[in-house]
Amino acid sequence: MKRSSRIFDLIIGVGLIGVAGFAMLYFLVNERFEWIPEQVLELARDPEILKSPPAKKCSECHKAIYEAWKDSRHSISWTSENFIEASENRTKEKCLPCHIPKSVRGEKPSPRLDLRDEGIYFVSCHFIDNKMQGPYDLLSPPHPTFRNPDYVRSNFCGSCHQKTFKEWKATNVEDTCQDCHMPRKKGRLTQKAGFNLLHKKRWVGDHRFLHGEIKEKDVIMESGWEENFFIISLKNQTIPHSVPTADNGDPRLYLYIKFFNEAGEEVDNAKEIIAPQQETALPYNKKIQYRYRLFDKIFKAEVELKYQPAWSKEKTTVRAETVRR
Amino acid sequence: MNFLRFILIAAAFIFIGILPVHAKDMVVKEPPKSLSKYYPPESKQPKWIQQMHKMSTHFGGVFVNLKEKDFENVDMHADKLVEEYKKTSEMVPEWEEYFDIKAAEAFAAAAKTHDIAKAGKASGGLGKTCGKCHAEQEVAVWAKFHWPSFHKIKVTDPISEKEIEFDDYMGSISSSFKGVTVNFGEGQYDRAAKALKVFKSRYMELKSTCSKCHATQDVKRFYVGKDADTAFAGLSQELNSEKPNPGKFWKNIGLLGKTGCKHCHLVHRTNSFIQEMWEK
Repeated sequence: MKRSSRIFDLIIGVGLIGVAGFAMLYFLVNERFEWIPEQVLELARDPEILKSPPAKKCSECHKAIYEAWKDSRHSISWTSENFIEASENRTKEKCLPCHIPKSVRGEKPSPRLDLRDEGIYFVSCHFIDNKMQGPYDLLSPPHPTFRNPDYVRSNFCGSCHQKTFKEWKATNVEDTCQDCHMPRKKGRLTQKAGFNLLHKKRWVGDHRFLHGEIKEKDVIMESGWEENFFIISLKNQTIPHSVPTADNGDPRLYLYIKFFNEAGEEVDNAKEIIAPQQETALPYNKKIQYRYRLFDKIFKAEVELKYQPAWSKEKTTVRAETVRR
Repeated sequence: MNFLRFILIAAAFIFIGILPVHAKDMVVKEPPKSLSKYYPPESKQPKWIQQMHKMSTHFGGVFVNLKEKDFENVDMHADKLVEEYKKTSEMVPEWEEYFDIKAAEAFAAAAKTHDIAKAGKASGGLGKTCGKCHAEQEVAVWAKFHWPSFHKIKVTDPISEKEIEFDDYMGSISSSFKGVTVNFGEGQYDRAAKALKVFKSRYMELKSTCSKCHATQDVKRFYVGKDADTAFAGLSQELNSEKPNPGKFWKNIGLLGKTGCKHCHLVHRTNSFIQEMWEK
């Protein structure tokens, strides 16, 4: 009985020491890592990471972010068939800086010569001035990471998305690019066994860089008749940049109008192409009006608004309605 | 009066007759295939033009440093020039004969005397080799590798929503333009108004087409900008009015032609013709 009690005490003691040790280590790693001598950290450094590694190398620790990025359009910015076709087999110089950026830092990047298949990847966005940077100061033994407040500011995305950034700035809306396209949730930055427990949960942005779908509520449509004219207006009332938007891509909204006579026969039609490259995209919170002269006696109009992203030929219906006279 | 006319006609014939004798003929021949490996997509960088810049920098570097009496750098640039010149001479086998290694070495030797007059004199022999190649090949190289090809551009026709070749698209713009002008000329204003919708849609689509190469709004607006907006607004106003004013109508048609069409054709057509010859 005495012996087993001693063993129990020993287990409890070791457990308590373990818990206390872990708590100390957790505190040190997350709150006071500057107390750890540099010589000790040097032993854990991985010099390969500071030499522009491929994304797969980053995934050894940052599996969740890697997988999200892999799902993003950023990961295929160099390899997507659409890009290869649009850039004439990647020969158009104007495409290179943003499709294979060397270093994203608030201004138009330079194109890089190595690891082009990775597209816009970890190194492009986080390895700046030979230092790993992000929204937090972190211990991360294999590579020191330094906080840069630009990671939660729109101007960072504006390095490439310059036109969209300007459109957003003009709206005076506080929500940043990251608020909508990289929504944050609490999670761990690393998934590597052991290390994941040592690092506390932080707000981590969604690295799929969500591309918002345009929904019926986003575009308000009003229409009416005026003698021999049909008038329709569209207003982008929820998205704080033009819709659609792109610096060089060609996403579009198509507005189709079919005119019918009293017998239900289609007698005329009209179409609008609402596209950033044609400077016809819908600005934030401003009504845009279209007028159509009617050459016949029209009984009703069928209106349909469809969206086609830059990387696809497929269109999806945003809204459709019938307007009777 | 008749005598004066005779003199003028005779002078015109003499001038026309003399012209071909004095004009220089230029043959724009497609560059050899071996050059392709120094330009994208075969190469990540435009290595050939970079090589030209290297030689040009070292050549200029000799004279800049001779003037500044920085003789150490004169020697460095002279040696580097010979090195790059030799390297370039081996890049395109078909053009080997343009190069004269002895002339390059003679220039380097003259530069190393640090006598600017001697270097200047020796540069003539070397310069001739560059000049001959540039005169015979530069236009072709620029046409082939530096100007993007119109014949690779595909355009989605806003009317049919089908992707078509650029040349075909130009044809469809032209037809829809004629739909406007011919109908207007016949006094068929309603038909002209309907045709204008199609023509405008196709014309404005060119903004997207320009953006396939031109990254800045200003360049796109040079081709399809404010003048086009003004012209289309004016045309639409005329065609939707009770009694269209032909003067205003044709003025706006002229504005479209003089700004959009002419701007683009002046800049792009010559090169497009050259490329078309090679791509057919």
